[in-house]
This record gives sequence, C-alpha cells and structure tokens, in this order.
Amino acid sequence: MRGVPDTASGSTAPAIEGIKLSKAFGGVQALDSASFAARRGEVHALVGENGAGKSTLIKILGGRLHPDSGEVRLAGESVELGSPDVAHGRGVWTVFQELTLLPWMTVAENLLIRREPRGAFGLIDRARMAEEAGSILARLGIRHIDPRRLVEDLSLAQRQMVEIVRVIVQDPDILLLDEPTSSLGENEVEWLFRLIRELRGRNKCIIFTSHRWNEITDVADRITIFRNGGELGTFTEIDESEAVTLMTGQRVEALYPQLSVLKAAQPVLEARGLSGPGISEISLTLHAGEILGVGGLAGHGHRELFSSLFGAASTTGGDILMNGNKVRISSPRDAVSRGIALVPEDRKTEGLILPMSVGINLTLATLSQISLLGVIRGGRERRVALDMVDRLKIRTPGLRNPVQQLSGGNQQKVLLARWLLADSGIVLLYDVTRGVDIATKHEIYELMIRLAGEGRGVLFYSSDAEELAHLSHRVLVMREGRVAAEIRAPGITAEDIVSAAVREASSIVD
Amino acid sequence: MSTEAAIERPKAHRLTYFVGQNIGLVLALTMLIVAVLLYCLVYWIEQQALPGKFELTSTVNNTMSLVLCGMGQAFVVLTRGLDLSIGGIMDLANALAAVHIKDSIGSMIGWSILILAIGAALGLINGLLVAVGRLQPILVTLATLSIYQGVAIRVLPQPGGSIPPIFSSVLVNPNQPTALVYVLVVALIWYAFRRSSLGVSIFALGNDEQAARANGIDTVRAQVAAFTLSGLMSGAAGLFLAATATAGDATTGNGFTLSSIVAVVLGGMNLFGGRGSGIGVIAGAFVTTMIVNILFFSNIDPLYQSFYEGLFLVIAVVLGSLISRIMRRRS
Amino acid sequence: MAGRNILAQRLDRIGFTRDVRRIVYVYLAAFLVFAIGQIVHPGFAQLDSIAAILTVASFVGLVAAGQTFVVLIGGIDLSVPWVLNAAAILLVTSSLGEDGRAAYALVITLGMGAAAGIVNGIMIAFLGVPAVVMTLAMNGIMEGLTLGLSGGMTCDSCASYAPPVVQDAVHGSLFGIPMALILWVVIIAIVSFVLSFTTFGRKTYAIGNNVKASYLAGVNVRLVTLLLYTLSGLFAALAGILLVGFGGQASLGMGDPYLFQSIAAVVIGGVYVLGGRGHYLGTAAGAVTLVALVSVLLAMNMPDYGRNIIYGIVILILLLLYGREEKEE
Repeated sequence: MRGVPDTASGSTAPAIEGIKLSKAFGGVQALDSASFAARRGEVHALVGENGAGKSTLIKILGGRLHPDSGEVRLAGESVELGSPDVAHGRGVWTVFQELTLLPWMTVAENLLIRREPRGAFGLIDRARMAEEAGSILARLGIRHIDPRRLVEDLSLAQRQMVEIVRVIVQDPDILLLDEPTSSLGENEVEWLFRLIRELRGRNKCIIFTSHRWNEITDVADRITIFRNGGELGTFTEIDESEAVTLMTGQRVEALYPQLSVLKAAQPVLEARGLSGPGISEISLTLHAGEILGVGGLAGHGHRELFSSLFGAASTTGGDILMNGNKVRISSPRDAVSRGIALVPEDRKTEGLILPMSVGINLTLATLSQISLLGVIRGGRERRVALDMVDRLKIRTPGLRNPVQQLSGGNQQKVLLARWLLADSGIVLLYDVTRGVDIATKHEIYELMIRLAGEGRGVLFYSSDAEELAHLSHRVLVMREGRVAAEIRAPGITAEDIVSAAVREASSIVD
Repeated sequence: MSTEAAIERPKAHRLTYFVGQNIGLVLALTMLIVAVLLYCLVYWIEQQALPGKFELTSTVNNTMSLVLCGMGQAFVVLTRGLDLSIGGIMDLANALAAVHIKDSIGSMIGWSILILAIGAALGLINGLLVAVGRLQPILVTLATLSIYQGVAIRVLPQPGGSIPPIFSSVLVNPNQPTALVYVLVVALIWYAFRRSSLGVSIFALGNDEQAARANGIDTVRAQVAAFTLSGLMSGAAGLFLAATATAGDATTGNGFTLSSIVAVVLGGMNLFGGRGSGIGVIAGAFVTTMIVNILFFSNIDPLYQSFYEGLFLVIAVVLGSLISRIMRRRS
Repeated sequence: MAGRNILAQRLDRIGFTRDVRRIVYVYLAAFLVFAIGQIVHPGFAQLDSIAAILTVASFVGLVAAGQTFVVLIGGIDLSVPWVLNAAAILLVTSSLGEDGRAAYALVITLGMGAAAGIVNGIMIAFLGVPAVVMTLAMNGIMEGLTLGLSGGMTCDSCASYAPPVVQDAVHGSLFGIPMALILWVVIIAIVSFVLSFTTFGRKTYAIGNNVKASYLAGVNVRLVTLLLYTLSGLFAALAGILLVGFGGQASLGMGDPYLFQSIAAVVIGGVYVLGGRGHYLGTAAGAVTLVALVSVLLAMNMPDYGRNIIYGIVILILLLLYGREEKEE
C-alpha cells in the first residue's frame, strides 16, 4: 500500500468520533461496526463508492439517524444525538445531500428560519429579514442571489449554495457536508473551499464526502476510505489509483469490462439543432452498436435532453430523426412504441413504482405483450417475468413482493429488465449506476456492452466521469444546455471530461 | 457575468417581480375589481343608478360568514389539507347562538366567547386526529362533519330560536357597513399570522413536511394549530350566520363548506399548500358574493344560478393558472 | 421488527397482502353489524330484511363504484349528487313513463352521465384543474342546468314516472333475489375483473401509486384519467336511473346523500384516499356496512342527530384502525 497512512495519534481527543457504528436498513447492512474520527482544525474527506456507508455515517454523526449499535463521541464525551436539533445544540451542523430548503418561501425566509428579526408587536420584520439575508450573502461573497427570490426559482447550483450558507451562518464547531459539490461549478467550488479553509483556520472541524478526486486532494488534510459499510483506513496522502483500488476492492483496470471496437454503423437516432427549456441547439448522432456517453456537471441540460428525446419534455426548435426520417416524439408512450427506452434519473420516484410488485414493475412498459384484448394473461406474465429475473439474476423473495423490499442494485435490475422486455432499439440510460453496489455495477456495465453489441444505440449519462471514460465509444460534454465538446476513443480520460465541463463555468461568485 | 452591487432593481422590474411572486393574490384582487365593476355596470343598466350604501352594507353583511370560514379553510389548505367539517362547526355555533344567547350584554358576550372556544376545541379535535392519529384530513373532517352536525341538530332540532337584535346589529348592522371593520380585523389577523412563528411553521409544513422538520419545526404542533384556527374561524362564521339570519338553523352549514373551498381557490391559494395569501381569500369570498349579485341584477333565471357559479369557478381557475404560469415565466 | 418484516414478506408472496386483509376486515365488519342488529332488534337479520338493506346498499354501491375508480388515482368526484339527480329527471322526462321510449331515454341518460364525466376528465387530465375544484364546479353546473331546464321540477313532463320496464327491473326478483341486487353483483364482478385482470386496471393502480413513473413507462396517464372520470359519471347516472326506477318518480335533492355515502363506502372499503391501493370488493362491503349501520340505528329508533353522530364516530374508529396499519411502513 503506497498511500501514507495517518499515524499521528493526537494528544487531544478527536473533535467528533464514531466508534463501532452499525446500521441496517431492511436487509441491507449500511454500516458494519465502522469507526471514524476527525480532529479540530482539519478538513477530513470521506470517500468510497455509492453504498459504502458514507452518507449513513454522516447522518448518524449529524443526529439524523440512530445507529443500531456503537457510540458517538464529541471531544471524548459520549453523546446521544437524538435529533438534528440536539446535534445543533452541540455545534454539529450538517449540509445533507437532499436539500432541506422550502421551495415556495424566499431565500431570506429560508436563511433566517426560526431566527427571523422581529419588529413591532413581536412580528417578523420582512424588510429587515431581506436586508439581513442580503448582508449574510454579501459577507460570504455571494452577490447574485436575490434574497427576496423564491427558492423554487433558483438554479440547482444556487440552491445548493443557499443550503450551504444557511448552515455556515450558524457558526458550527463541526461541519458535515454530504456531497456538497455535486451541482457546483468550478467557481462555486472554489468559493466553498475558501469558506472551508477559513473555518479550518478558526480551528473548526470539517468533514465532507465527495466523488471528485481532484477536489479531495485540493482541500482535504486527511482521507478516510470506506467500502461495504466499514472503514479501510485513514491517510494523509494517497494516490488516486490506490484509493480506487481500496474503494472498489479491485484494480482499476478490472473495474470496467472491455469495450468492443465500433465498426462503422448507420445512425439510429439523430438530433439536429434541438432546443427547448434547458437545452439549446443540440446536435448529436447515435449509431447502431454505439455507446455514446454524455457528461458534464449536474444541472447543465442532460436531464432535459434525455427527456426531450423520450418525448417527456417539449421542444421549441430543431428536429429528431430516427433511421434518417424526421419524427415527432410527442409522449413517452410514443417513444416506447418507436422503440426508445429510458431508464430515468431517480429510480425510486421516476422509474419504479415502489409499492407495487416486482412482476408488475417488470411488465409495465410491455403490457400489450402479456395481454389479449386488454385482459392480462397471468400465465404468460409469470413466464416472461421469471425469465427476466433469471436472466438478470435479480434477487427477490418472489414476483409478488413489492419492489421496495429489494436492494438498490436489484431494484435497478428490475428497471433495466422492464426495458429489456421492450426490446428497444435505442436505450437512454440516465445515471444507471447511482446508488448501486460494485457487483451489480459490473453486471450493468456488461449488460450495456451487450446491448450495444446487439446493434442497439445506447445513450448514456453518468455523473461519474470515470465510468463515462471507460465505457463510451464517444463522449459529448454538455455545458449550460449545449454540447461543449466531443471526445473520441481511444484514450478518453475522466480529466478531459471534467475539464471540458467546468471551463468557463458561470461565475455567480466574486 | 460581471459583479454587480447589492441587488438594486429599477422600479418597473420590482412590480413584475412582486406580481410574479404573489400571482395568486394579484389575480384575486383583479378578479374582485372586475367583479365590482361588472356589478356596478349591471346595476346601472337595471336601476339607472350606482349601487349605494345599502347595497354595500348588505353585501358586506352577507359575505362576513364566508370571509371567516374561508380564512379558516385557508389555514388548513396551507398545510396541504382540507377541512370539510367547517359547515358542521358553523351549524353548531349557529344552533348554540340561537338557543342560548339572550338579551343581556353578559349573555351575548359570554356565549360568544364560549362558542368561539367550542369552535376552537372542535378544530383542535380535528387537528389531533390528523396530526397525532396520522389520518387523512379529508376523511377525518368528513367524519367529524357528521358528528358536529349531529350535535347541532340535537341542540336545535328545528329551525328556530332567536337572536337578540342588538347582537345582530353589532355584528351585521343593517344600516351601516360597519361589518367592514370586521373584514379589516380578519385582514389584520392574517397580517399578524403571516409574520408570526406559527405562520412560518404552517407555511413550512405545507411547503415540504420533511424539510420543515429538518429545519426544526414542530410540524405536529403546526398542523394541530391550523385546524384549531379553522375551528375558531368557523365558530365566528357561525355567529355571523346566526346574526344575519336572526334565527337558528342547524343545517345551513353544508353550503359553506364547499363555498369556503371556492373562496380559497378564487383567492389564488394553491390546494397543495405552502403558499398563498389570506387577503386573496378575503377577496375570493367577496367575488363569490359579487357573482351572486351580478347574476341577480342581470335578470338571469335564478334557477340557473348554480350553473353560472360552477362555470365561473372553472373558468376562473383555468385562466388563473394559465396567467400565473405566464407571469412566473417572465419574472 | 425483523420478524414482522419477514412475515410481511411471506404473506406478500402468497398474495395475502395488507390490502387483501383490509377487504376481509370490511366483510367481517358488515357481518358484525348484521349480528349486532339481530341482537338489538331480533328479526333484523331475516332474509327479506337483509335483501332490503342490500338493495339500498346497491344504489350506494353503484355510485361508489365510480368513486372507487377516481379515488384510486388520487382524485375524487364531487359531482355525483347532481349527475345522479339530473339522470333521474332526464329519464322520466324523456321516457314520459312509456316503455316504447325507454331505450331512447336510457341511452341519452347514460350518455349525459358519460358526458359530464368526460368534461370532468378533460379539465382534470388535460387542463390540470384540481379534481376537487372541477367536480365541485360540475356539480353546480349540473344543478343549475337541471333546475333551469326543468323549471325547478315544474315542467309538464317532470312528474312522469320511470318506464315500467325500469321499475320492474329494479323491483322484480329472480329466484327470490331482488333484481337490483343481481344487477349489483354483476357490476361488482365486472368492476372487480377490470381492476384486477385488465391492463386498464393495472394502469389505474400504477398511476395512483406514482404518476411520474407510470408516465415514463409509457402509460397514457391522461387518457386513463379521462376514462376513469367518464366511468364515474356513467355510474352516477346509472344509480340515478335505478333509484328513480325504485322510487317511481324523481325529486329534487335525491342525489345529495350519495356523495358522503359513496366516499364513506370507498374509505371504509379500504381504498386509500391518495390512490393506488384498494379494491371495489372492499367498497361494496363498505357500502353494505354503512347501510346496515344506518338501518340498525333506525331500527333502534335512534333520532336523527344520533345517527349522524354514530355514523361519524364509526367512520373515525375504522379510520384509526386502518390508520395504524399505514404506520407500519
């Protein structure tokens, strides 16, 4: 192991510690007797794959979740963080991944909630509230967010910034950040890191999780690597490939299956000058047998592009062509009948219908295949579903069980199986491996390559630039709703993708 | 984008900005103004004169109950719920008033306070069932509607009883539009509510229950409070109903339940909760009465009244959502 | 905790889900009400008494069928009172009590019900009007049209009777079982079949559970919504037809009690008010339970107000019982 492990024992007790924490959800062990410690005056990064336990650890340390066993200590003293409020009382504040902003209230109301300035009769002075919020934002270097605006009207990046400001303003002793940079551009990330460094300078303790390696090395003093619910070690220095090996338990090279060489093939899907809310003048060509990757920062138009291609969003200009002919895709139903499949961003809310059974979820897009004159043929349904469960090795107690009982990886498989049944010629995959364990990720990668190998066109968006780099024949990088760059194999690297994504990012900070 | 000084917007922008943020309120007020103008027009055509103090007085008097129960419904709608028991609480308040309020000042004041307290208590029961029992508001209030109405019928089995004239004229003075003072009071109640911790917690609850809790807001308390306030308002509405009718009737509440929803919707409040203005609801209540007035004076067959009211409601809602979508996109 | 999960998983696997259990409870409740009725008022549970209760329940059940359809997608139909009333009046005024005109009258009456439902459906599904608002408005529209066109029931043909063929259909009996009941059982079978075994039913449940996911899976959400509201209007009209066949003549306000009762039947029957869960089999049992309850109270000479109060309390108790099951998740 070439990374430099952290051997300093420290003379004072750590600012915050988790000792042998365990937590299980349903049948899944998210944390397995994991221990962790962070000191005052340091920036400590938590890294690991999705599902390794980082978010769960943060939630426990922040008082949002109760561990099944184990203890949490603050400055050596054992504490019971029963709720986020209790944690706040001890100076522990968290910026969670799921933003807790109130969408139909203003930025000012959100920033100063429960601490609003009062005026006559003890009533909230709204004018002063907006003023105070404005000065808070200005003090922290933000000048382009109007405190009187409704949060609903802000962009994703702006919302994330407001969420961060909200917590920093509380002057936390210990600041926990769960994926704080997922929607931020380069300037905004710099802004955040400046704030973090300033907190460190004041001897506070900052813990954050991230996927982006360059950020981690940029600002973290120590790095703890998690895998499968347990910690693997804490390092002051470690190089990326070692870290990835630790995180995934495999050598980097073995992570991704071999991509087949693309022979010249005809275009199956084409967009010409496609424009709409969130996208402008997008032109792309997807060929049969090709895996076309789409990259870029979150919130830069990918979701809108995928939705438009699937008929789930209206377009204001441009054309879509299938096999050379102009088509108008008016609805997802229309898209499905034309042989397009979409595995959407959030499988729990947009893909699967969690309370309904595995069988129903599997066959939802292909009801005509298992029915006659509108009547469902039970036997056929069962056969078709069981076949899929078998082919994709989906682990489920039974076809009738609600799909919410399955693990994240198996849920994703059910979603993929639904579209395999539809036998679509064009497959749109949106962040398919998010929140999925390593083993299942492998299976999904192999499935993707097989789909392409069968002559389908695969359009693939991922928030993980490494994935894109290793699995695509070509990568289109989107920025602010446009195609900013096209990178061809061989030799696509994650750095290429990331730098194309952040170049000239919007500056909403000084 | 270059840096700018702190957000100073030119006046013109400020207006479209305000409109975009408060589109519901603006539409409701616009609708009210249009309705009033239309009413004046129709009145002029019929009577060759403009509506005067008498018309204003009777309009305000007749609308008071709706203003109150509409405001009550608004509190609940803000939390993403619906209170169907409003009619029942009004019936009970009406019945109690007709039976118990006697000619003495003490009786009038004492019973009024008691009835308001009872209304609040009934609302509290609703709130506890919803927030602590974790039941759906629409179902709980459907059941309690039945119960409260039953109690009302027990108190006053047949329309009857009496309301002292003094009581009536304090509440709904037949000669002067003094009831406008009460409208102002309701508006002030909303103003204070919006700027109170309770108001913030109720709005937050309607925005996003999870996020509200993550912000340390006691959502259970907020929900219970919303229903309690609704009950209180309905009790007051019942008192005004009794005062206007000068006698009691334990069954007239039903229409008010649905009308309170109409007032809230016309007032620009979103049924999904979390946003809207009580001032808009007051306007919505008046628009509802104005429609009736307009229909009356345009000589439309009164049998068709419901038809026009229903039609109006749909058109208002469709146009309203269309306009608000356009305005928000532009702001 | 883990043990309960495993039990739940095993039960789910064999199809004995929580929703199925709920339906069983409702039938037990109905049985219980009859039993209590028999104890409190001997003779209550006699065959012809039961038949009478079931016949009345069938009217509620019909309206509740339409209500079930829309509640399953998280909607509601507040227009049933006056669609029902309008249908009853339309039937008598267009048939004028003659069998020869019966077919024509039935067609246009059912057509009117469907039309009201279609308008509801279009506004709700395509124009995004909230269901509460649209159906409320439709109720007013139907009320206004009915009152206006019939002159407040003063028109010449308003006092006509329902065609004898309809009256006989409702009053008649087959092998001792009232026709109305047989008709209801047929409806129960059809509706249950549609919900459980057709793609339409499957799509309904999918939409009720998750609109977005259903949409992205290629379900035509708008069309299904439109059809469901159309069905609701149709059923309300059908109930109106049968009711006027039962009573002979139409009256104003005959539809009013059916709004509350249809919603109560749906809720008691275990249909989840936010949609996605429940079944008409439960609703049917709910309708029977409710009507039986009212009959018991009537038999006990309970005064008007007492009935209201007990009605509400019973619903609350049942809700609390179901409510506790919700918290299991």
